[in-house]
Amino acid sequence: MKSAMEVKELQKVFGKNIAIKHVDFNVKQGEIFGLLGPSGSGKTTMVKILTGELSKTAGDVNVLGMDSSKFKTSDFKSKVGILSDNSTLYKRLSVYDNLKLFCKLYKAPLHHIDDILHDVHLYEERFKTASDLSKGMAQRVLLAKALIHKPDLVFLDEPTSALDPGTMIHIHRALQKLNEVGTTIFLTTHNMEEATELCDRVAFLHKGELQELDSPAALRYKYSDHTFHVETVAGERMVIKNEPETADQVRQLIANRQVKAMHTDNPTLGQIFLKVTGKELV
Amino acid sequence: MNIQRIHAIFEKDIKDFMKNMMLLVLPALPLVIALLYALTSEGEAELPLPLLYLIVGMAFSGITSAMIMTMMAEENEKNTLRGLIQSPASFVDIIVGKSLVTGIITLISLVASLMIVGIEPFLEFRVILGLILLFLFFLLLGIGIGLFSKTVSATSAYLMPVMLLFGFTSMVGTFGFAEDSMAITITDTFPIMQAIKIHDSSSWMPMVVIAIWIIAAAIFTYVCFRNTMTDD
Ligand SMILES: Nc1ncnc2c1ncn2[C@@H]1O[C@H](COP(=O)(O)OP(=O)(O)OP(=O)(O)O)[C@@H](O)[C@H]1O
Ligand SMILES: [Mg+2]
Repeated sequence: MKSAMEVKELQKVFGKNIAIKHVDFNVKQGEIFGLLGPSGSGKTTMVKILTGELSKTAGDVNVLGMDSSKFKTSDFKSKVGILSDNSTLYKRLSVYDNLKLFCKLYKAPLHHIDDILHDVHLYEERFKTASDLSKGMAQRVLLAKALIHKPDLVFLDEPTSALDPGTMIHIHRALQKLNEVGTTIFLTTHNMEEATELCDRVAFLHKGELQELDSPAALRYKYSDHTFHVETVAGERMVIKNEPETADQVRQLIANRQVKAMHTDNPTLGQIFLKVTGKELV
Repeated sequence: MNIQRIHAIFEKDIKDFMKNMMLLVLPALPLVIALLYALTSEGEAELPLPLLYLIVGMAFSGITSAMIMTMMAEENEKNTLRGLIQSPASFVDIIVGKSLVTGIITLISLVASLMIVGIEPFLEFRVILGLILLFLFFLLLGIGIGLFSKTVSATSAYLMPVMLLFGFTSMVGTFGFAEDSMAITITDTFPIMQAIKIHDSSSWMPMVVIAIWIIAAAIFTYVCFRNTMTDD
């Protein structure tokens, strides 16, 4: 599969503070890639470098086949969509006028506005003034703004932080729909459920270093303690190691109809993060 | 530069202007002064040039500079400038779009105000050229200040000296300074004073002096631009 993004030996230094330390990763075309990390781990810095807003200190980045010297060109900018960490709307303008501005700046057809408003469930609110929107609505308009030109690649910096579960689901649906038509999505989050649900692959960023990179399922398997938790009909609870030697024991229990419930106890991504970095992912 | 994108910025900023109370009052200022003149100088012949240029200075400092610096500072403060820069619009597209809005509002207010007090002295090619040069000077000054002041409230602190020094320069004669004093000699080279000189001489010197002021303002704006664009 082709890469949408290649990052090699990337480093970013602010004065004496090393924000990104020799990071390597690739993002495949069409995947949803999640960059997970606690506050201050360098997620926003990473997004800013990948979108040309900040310059790198060392290393190579290639996005959509273009190296970082091309990141300021309108060719590059029209192929990516960005939802920044603290972007806002023009609060005196309507939802529609906010989107119209960007639709025109990206030279996209104006019918995209109504299409995208339907996708984020805000068509009814299109003539509302932006200052009258709830936080969740405003965030959905900002997402719509990032997607208005149907970009090949979207960067979302904490798209759902501080939003209610309902809004979060709306946003997740819109992102899944977008991904189905082949859009590559790069998102940062410190929400573990979000990453588990949405991402094809996740990377852990801790103090500017990449710690793990794999699919959520593979990571949960890797960090599981490989045990079965079994509850028998008689009410007895057992923990059985998942090894060839114990296979017979399990088979026997099932054959004797003694098993009432059985489950594996894989850790959540949050627990894995804690294990890998020794730091809570908040 | 891209016409379509400039138009998009222009359209957005006009709509935003119409809903922004703080900006909407600005074009009224020169009109109010013009009306006061008209009421107090009933029947009198033409108003003296320094008084007419108080209206001009009011329009260029109080509308042109004030509007563009407020618009730029607000984009900065609300983080919306970032969205524009992330889009394929160039910085020039953004500035030109905003300048067109500022220019049109200034033009409407200035022409209306001058019509009230008598626009005849301004209906001459060289005088109009002088006004256009003045507009550019005040526009660049406003853009520069708008770029480095990160909040709208900060701009008002910078606007005061701009208005007093460059907007109301023509009033310096009423303060009773001696003809050969430092104050008079220095302020004599200021853009508004040079524009007044265009009326009663056929020399191109005043234009050249204003052009030098424009170059200085352009350098100032460029330095402010460099400083805001490199944030690491
Ligand atoms: N412009 C800057 N100048 C100096 N240091 C910076 C700058 N931007 C970020 N940093 C530093 O780089 C580190 C990473 O910051 P960054 O904003 O990338 O973290 P983050 O993972 O996005 O955090 P959060 O989850 O809070 O958004 C921090 O130590 C921060 O202080
Ligand atoms: Mg961040």
